[in-house]
Amino acid sequence: MSTAPVTGRRAFLKTLGCGACAMCADCLLARAAWARQVQGRNQVAVHDAMWFETIEDNAVRCTLCPRECVVADVERGYCGVRENQGGEYKTLVYGTLCSVNVDPIEKKPLFHYLPATTALSVATPGCNMECKFCQNWEISQFRPEQVTSYLVPPRDVVQLAVSHNSPTIAYTYSEPVVFYEYAHDTAALGRRQGVGSVLISNGYILEEPLRQLCQHLTAVKVDLKAFTETFYADHCAASLAPVLDTLDVLADIGIHTEVVVLLIPTLNDSAAEIREMARWLVEHMGPDVPVHFSRFHPIYRMKNLPPTPVAVLERARRIALDSGLNYVYLGNVPFHEGESTYCPRCGKMVIQRVGYRTDVVGLEDGACASCGCNIPGVWTQEQALAVRRG
Amino acid sequence: MKRLMRREFLSETGQAVAAAAVAVAALSTEDTRPALAKSRVVVVRHPALADAAGPDPRAVRGALDQAALALSGESDLDGAWARWFKPQDRVAMKVNCLGLATHPAVVAGLAQSLGAAEIAPERTIVWDRSDHELVRAGYTLRKRGSGMRCYGTDGLGGSGPGGYDTELATSGAIGSLYSRIITERCDALVSVPVLKDHNLAGLTCALKNFFGAIHNPNKYHDNGCTPFVADVCAHEHIRNRLRLAVCDATQPQYNGGPPRRQRWQWPYGGLILSTDVVALDRVALEILERKRAVVGLRPLAAEQRPVRYLESAAARNLGKADLADIEIISIGTDWLDVG
Repeated sequence: MSTAPVTGRRAFLKTLGCGACAMCADCLLARAAWARQVQGRNQVAVHDAMWFETIEDNAVRCTLCPRECVVADVERGYCGVRENQGGEYKTLVYGTLCSVNVDPIEKKPLFHYLPATTALSVATPGCNMECKFCQNWEISQFRPEQVTSYLVPPRDVVQLAVSHNSPTIAYTYSEPVVFYEYAHDTAALGRRQGVGSVLISNGYILEEPLRQLCQHLTAVKVDLKAFTETFYADHCAASLAPVLDTLDVLADIGIHTEVVVLLIPTLNDSAAEIREMARWLVEHMGPDVPVHFSRFHPIYRMKNLPPTPVAVLERARRIALDSGLNYVYLGNVPFHEGESTYCPRCGKMVIQRVGYRTDVVGLEDGACASCGCNIPGVWTQEQALAVRRG
Repeated sequence: MKRLMRREFLSETGQAVAAAAVAVAALSTEDTRPALAKSRVVVVRHPALADAAGPDPRAVRGALDQAALALSGESDLDGAWARWFKPQDRVAMKVNCLGLATHPAVVAGLAQSLGAAEIAPERTIVWDRSDHELVRAGYTLRKRGSGMRCYGTDGLGGSGPGGYDTELATSGAIGSLYSRIITERCDALVSVPVLKDHNLAGLTCALKNFFGAIHNPNKYHDNGCTPFVADVCAHEHIRNRLRLAVCDATQPQYNGGPPRRQRWQWPYGGLILSTDVVALDRVALEILERKRAVVGLRPLAAEQRPVRYLESAAARNLGKADLADIEIISIGTDWLDVG
């Protein structure tokens, strides 16, 4: 889970000026000048959508996500950022950033991907779910004209990452599936210029667009919000099965994938559900898929429940490890031993994490320095960019 | 069901007052059931309302006043409009500007009629989601100065995302922010929709019109908008303010909505009034289905878009969804004569 994004012009500029690469502050501020502010219906950025089919009477069917919205002329899809304009489906968020940060890659979280590096993290408004516990609902649950954004074309996003010495661009905070075209083009351009791209997603996407996007991506993180259809229906206005399909496709593609599970007291934290989920992940993703159990905090429309007790998170970790997963982490629990990576064979620590401080302490050429056990992951940028998958 | 047949529509207000008063008196002698048992819906029709170029403003005014008399049961216009509005009220008229839009002449006539309740024009607002959509539908923006106000939620400026309230409101499964035009600038709401087909909900009219009052209507269209239409209207922001619905059925559209498709519009030449928005929508649906049958289109249910949100709304006590519970007063051409 990511923390709250930067929004608003002042924060935007501050981020650009005071990011991870402080020595570049002047040039970054200069670049901020091209980030033209946009707000309002007349200023949204209209761009052809990539995934839809036209049906009768100028209606379209969106073929990007499992909702497959049928959208009449002048109407929008569930995500609120795609509009039927005379039988042509358009995205209204191409190049409109409402949030930008330079984050540790561990904040995504991606623990087996270029540890101790940063990711230029970007978002546009919109989401194809409505989770009652959304941390970023003030951008994910709004339409583009309701959020102040800045026009930043793909080439400038890539340049911004380069200038921050970020080897990675992360599409995150809201739901990148709904700004697919922007992420797709930026990732393709970034790859050509030596910058990787990671998708921080709910996994609610159909197979064909996922496979095409993965040709340009270097890693994916999927939020597995629970392991029951009931939870997805009651708390996310969505369905579990398509997310599991996405995980299967990602495993088939072979792209580096990590899974995050936000444990919410009484709703998705039973031992039986955790066990069933862990077994499914072992069977479908393999025992080496990194899994993060993250701590819930009351927010948005779920303020009636307390933060997840650490003991519940620790129990989930034990169950997952006992079920055969090799790399199980705790999230949003700073200074906990469950933040660090341990060799599954000898038990030695290979990557130490304390909050967002990361030290690679026992990893050599992708293997445990102590016993030589291979530790799966993406450990170099060359490795990240080596293969085009899809 | 009751009908007031008119050989000739009376466009002059004075004539309308007298005529409608007589008609209502006649009605009361025929009604053997308890008055409170039914919701009243008035359908008023006239050829001057059916002009393809737009309804005649004088005819609109006359029709509205005549319908108001019939709906209220009052014998004079002042009493009729005063039944729903007080002079100190700030009245917000929610139009529908997405696709086929509420005709500005209907709103202009309504605004004039509100004068009978001694409401100053400056205390009335015509609104929808955005300035852009209002202008596209033929409205003239007016945010200050004298006269009736007209602007979109996004034209409010100030605090709040895009003109919406900052406090999340929930009366169902989804949370929303409501327009600050409702929460901050209005005491009385009037739904002024246009009668049209909807590709997902089947019908969009007085209830669904309020999808334009929340920041995230895109989250409310699953399952034929059921029960989401009822959820939006059941919130106290709307429920406690909604006084009246005036439906523009001058050139309704029986298929292919919500975008405007002229080939599926027809000159019904009607206005539909009620204080029960569910009952109004039920009558509107009946008109739509009758027209579809006449032209050989299948019922909405057969096209997998039955209008189920009316039952949800009735279950939330927002009004009556059963025709047997609705008293329909037809002025002018019979309301079921759909041509």
